Amino acid sequence: MTDVSLPPASAALQGLAFLELGERLRQRGQFAAAASVALAGLGHYPDVADAHDLLARIRTDQGHDAGAIAAWHAALECDPGHVGARKGLAFIAFRARDFTTAERQLELAAMQAPHDASVLAALDRVRSVQPVSAAEDEPRFTDPSGGLLLYDLQGMRLAGGIGESDDAALADAVAAEAAGLSREAARAARLLGLGRIRHLVLETADARVAVMPVAHDAALLLRRGAAIPIGRLLALAGRAAQAADDWLGRMR
Amino acid sequence: MNTSQWHDALRELTGVTGVLGALIVSADDGLVVAETAMDELATADVAALAAAVVSRAGRCTDAMRAGVPSSLHLAAEQGALLAMAGPPPLWLVAVARHDAELGRLRLLLRDFAGALR
Repeated sequence: MTDVSLPPASAALQGLAFLELGERLRQRGQFAAAASVALAGLGHYPDVADAHDLLARIRTDQGHDAGAIAAWHAALECDPGHVGARKGLAFIAFRARDFTTAERQLELAAMQAPHDASVLAALDRVRSVQPVSAAEDEPRFTDPSGGLLLYDLQGMRLAGGIGESDDAALADAVAAEAAGLSREAARAARLLGLGRIRHLVLETADARVAVMPVAHDAALLLRRGAAIPIGRLLALAGRAAQAADDWLGRMR
Repeated sequence: MNTSQWHDALRELTGVTGVLGALIVSADDGLVVAETAMDELATADVAALAAAVVSRAGRCTDAMRAGVPSSLHLAAEQGALLAMAGPPPLWLVAVARHDAELGRLRLLLRDFAGALR
């Protein structure tokens, strides 16, 4: 894994030449000077995610992980889809042997950049060293950013979200559409004599999505990046469905 | 790929163990464009139902801001319906028993769907 990324090609055009200068100083090992440039630039451009990303990489080089993490979180506040920040947070987590967090950050990066070879390679590496455990990808129904959405077949969201943000309105809209999909898939299976539906898997260029029934009147949707193997996606969805069944039983 | 090659591809798909039929469907109107299937399979129904599920899937991924579906796999207790997007509005669809070689079928569908031009 690496935390190095090239300066944005459009920086000069946008009047953000300090990004290039800071990156060059960083690459030369002049970290204090690079940090001064980055901080001065952030004074003028506090909403530029790449500037926070630059500062985070400098902090990492200086061994200030806490500062790097804060800067990458600031980058994500400016741009929730900033791949460099996700990769950086994954790098810090990986170094701390927090493989679950590293994998999650890289999966979020892969959602934004499904064809980024560096992200996919980093994901492979994290997965190759991650011990398989019961805690792996534990279903998180109460975490809207967990990529796990539980809804009833009337289209009402019961818990969770779709992963990229904690936007409740977006999650509600997905629950409404996913319920329609669940009903249509169940109808198709019944009319074709295929019996009760077990699961539905959708693939797009950016994502792989599993839809699975829960109890008799609900379903869950699990979204992951396009890099996840389908068998693993289904295994995770199966575990989540079981946990959702228990959760619904307790709720009722 | 011309229509003769389409039928060759469909025949190869139905040659996979457990596959009941394969068809090219127009997702816009749910009609069969080409098909090879066992008599027991109502291909017109398959086309209409597959198109309806594909349409719903597209609305769902659109709501998720996840792009356009390129494949769909509906697995049920007695069998499965697999669909792979070809050039719009065509989809390559197969219906298989639950014990079919779904991995191989999926790969063939992807290869043929990409060649449907």
